[in-house]
Amino acid sequence: MTMTKRKKLGTSLGFVALTVAMLTVILWFRQINMVAIPGDRTLFVIAFVIAAGLGLMTFVVGTRWFGGIAAAFAILVGSFFPFSVAISPQQVADNPIHVGDTIPSFFALDDAGNRFSSTDLAGGPVLIKFFRGHW
Amino acid sequence: MQVLTISTDKPEVIRKKRRMHGLQARMLSDRDLAVTDAFGLRNQLIHSGPLEDDLEALPVPTTLLVSSSGEVLWMDLADNYQRRSGPEVVLVALETHLNAP
Repeated sequence: MTMTKRKKLGTSLGFVALTVAMLTVILWFRQINMVAIPGDRTLFVIAFVIAAGLGLMTFVVGTRWFGGIAAAFAILVGSFFPFSVAISPQQVADNPIHVGDTIPSFFALDDAGNRFSSTDLAGGPVLIKFFRGHW
Repeated sequence: MQVLTISTDKPEVIRKKRRMHGLQARMLSDRDLAVTDAFGLRNQLIHSGPLEDDLEALPVPTTLLVSSSGEVLWMDLADNYQRRSGPEVVLVALETHLNAP
């Protein structure tokens, strides 16, 4: 294969890699918006790894500069998501609160800077949600 | 029905974001994880938060339904921060525990 043909092939590969990465990202965020990320995310990880793999192959085959940029992006995205899946498990310490327990007394500042105390809750049921952060 | 949220966001961040989502809830800032630790909900596994933050840990995403006497009636503890129970799970819990005779 001539150099030009290789570079053409490589460039196309770069854009295929980018397309796989972006389609998977779009599907991933669609699942997030529906609060429906599946328990088994193996297929997502496989898709991202394929995107990253195609990106790497792009550089091996040789590519024009814009194919290289597409491939680099695919490698970045394809590596980041499996990494985020790997660090996502959560676990509490030995003695968290359980159903049937009485909640502890606590106080904290609210977003207006006012002091909130758990005694303010008396009188009605409450839904308490702990979350990591708005980001 | 009161709703209380607890996160490690600074109060001013909560204030800013509240305007975007408009949630009618009392939203607390738990920077030092004092409330998180009082409930025993500090995540023990890999800490992954924004790089610019100096937090050493985050709470495990958890939803609790608490009765008027302070008893935990139902709770949903995430085993993974990418997977959360949808709103329908909370609604079922509310119907089950608050409407029961």
